[in-house]
Formats: sequence, C-alpha cells, structure tokens
Amino acid sequence: MVDDVAAVGAVLVLALVTIATRLAGVWIMSYVQITARIEAFLKHMATSVFIAIVVPAAVNGAPRIGLAVAAAAIAMIASRSALTAMLIGTAVAAAAKSFGL
Amino acid sequence: MVATPTDTSDKETRPPDRPCFTARGVRRGAIEIAPLAVFVMPFGIAFGGAAAAKGVPASIALLMSGGMFAGASQFAALDLWRAPLPLAMLALTVLAVNARHILLGAALAPWFLRVPLARRLSALLFLSDPNFAQAMAARERGELDAGILFGSGLAMWFVWLTGTAIGAYGGAYLGDLARFGFDAVMVSYFAAVVLGQWKGRSDLLPWIAAAAVALLGSWLLPPGWHIIAGGLAGGVAGAWRHGR
Repeated sequence: MVDDVAAVGAVLVLALVTIATRLAGVWIMSYVQITARIEAFLKHMATSVFIAIVVPAAVNGAPRIGLAVAAAAIAMIASRSALTAMLIGTAVAAAAKSFGL
Repeated sequence: MVATPTDTSDKETRPPDRPCFTARGVRRGAIEIAPLAVFVMPFGIAFGGAAAAKGVPASIALLMSGGMFAGASQFAALDLWRAPLPLAMLALTVLAVNARHILLGAALAPWFLRVPLARRLSALLFLSDPNFAQAMAARERGELDAGILFGSGLAMWFVWLTGTAIGAYGGAYLGDLARFGFDAVMVSYFAAVVLGQWKGRSDLLPWIAAAAVALLGSWLLPPGWHIIAGGLAGGVAGAWRHGR
C-alpha cells in the first residue's frame, strides 16, 4: 500500500513536471530555434516511450495482455480509431480472462 | 493589447486583428471542442477504473487527473505506482511521455509569444493533443484569439475529471477489474496510439530500437527503467535517421 502523504507529494511533482512540458515549448522558442534534428528526437522519443511500455508488457505479461495488444493493433489498423482499438483490446482481455488466460 | 477576458462588451461584434485572448475566444473554444471532448469521457473512466484496479484511492486518481491532465502519462505513472514510490523514475517517465508538449508549444510560439504573459501561461496550462490540433486548424483559418486553446482545454479538463471520478468510484464496487479487461486498457490504448503515429518506413528503425532496448531492459534493468531506456533509444535512432 502506498503511503497517502507520499502519494500526494508524488502527484504534485508529476503535475509540476507536466506543466513544465506545457510551458517549455513556447519559452524555449523565445530563445532558440528547435532544429529539425531536435524535433525528430522529441517526436520519436514520445512514440518510443509507448513502445517501451507495450512491448515488454505484451511479451512478459499474462497471455491475455498479449492477446489484447494484438487485437488492439489490428483494430487500430482497420479502424484508425484509438478509442475503438482500446475498447476491442479491453474486450479481448476480458474474454481471455473468462477462459482463464 | 487592450483585449482582456472582461472587456468584451463593445468589441463583441468585431473579430480580433492581432494575437489576443478574450472571453469570447474561451467560450468559442469550449463549444468547438465539445464533439471531441465527449470521447475523452471513456478514457477518463478507463483511467479511474485502472487506478481502482491498482488499489489507488479515488482521491489520488482525481488529483492526478486534475493536476496532470495528460492521460498517457497518467497511465504510465499508474504502471509504476507501488510502495515505496519510485519518484525519480516516475518523474522521468512522465517527462519522457509528455516531452511532446514541448513540440506543441514550440509550434504555437509564433502566435502565443504575442499574447500577454499571464494569459499565455494560463492557456498553455490546458495544452493537450486534441485542443492543440483544434487550435492549429483554427490558426490556419486566421484565428488570432489564444482564448480558444484555454476554453477547449478547460472543457476537456472537466470531462476528463468527471470520467476519472466515475471510473475511480465505480471501480471500487466492481471488484476485480481484470474481469472486465481493465488491466489491458492501458496497453491497448498505447498500442493504438503508437500505430497511429506510423508515418512510413523511416519509423521502422527507431521503433525496433525502442522495442529491442525496452525488452532487453525489462530483463536486465531495475523495474521501470526499461521505459526510459527504450524511449531514449527510439529518440536517438529517430534523430540519427533524420541526419541521413
């Protein structure tokens, strides 16, 4: 169980970090030019963080997680809707759970 | 810069001719984003439900949604939520996930740097992917009122908080949320977000680098660090590809 005071403190830190990212872009641009290379780094890093969460979870986790990810990926390619993909992945995980996976 | 959120009475009928921030813009932003904001609700419910499934109190889930208002990073933080809290890792992960805000802000800079500081900062507090996309589309049409970003952000923030509350308080009554697949909500959504970012074959190398480094890291590194390692690997590979 996470201590309540520690939890509130941690959330406040995370909120400040997030606010800093929201303000940083305009602030930095008032001083420097974001080069194409820096832009490519930031863009790919944002996507890569999600990849870095999903791939190990699907490989190392319970089978239903891998099934859910596969179903969500197929749904995303077919529908181009992240919401649809999320709902289908969740439904597949629920079905797999009922089969004991 | 005479326009303020309160002095709209006599300027109500005249569109602004330079970057500004008015109450009218705020209202318009909120109305324009409404059809999109509706779709934020299920994600908010999913986040609240996932938090409940993790045993995170509803009050903490609500504080996260209110203070961070960045779904993907909140799910990522939830993934690392355990006692004792790995604060540095949480902060780095949230920073890595939300680093894209820096790009969005940079794109808004030519417009927003001409808006008075206090109003510029308050509008940016509610910056997110959907209302950034909406604001940039509006800018293309000649929009100059930065208030639309504030209004659309505020509307989405309310929906996001409401969804979180429903999921977090409802989740406690539902019991084991794995039955409903809530433990797969996060990875399903992330997988979809990643595939939505696919721009062509030049993405292949950074994506493989991120996946390979993260997978290796999940076996070799202390818990959680594989996310940072994978994120950096993909970013570096992407920047390197860009230079060729």
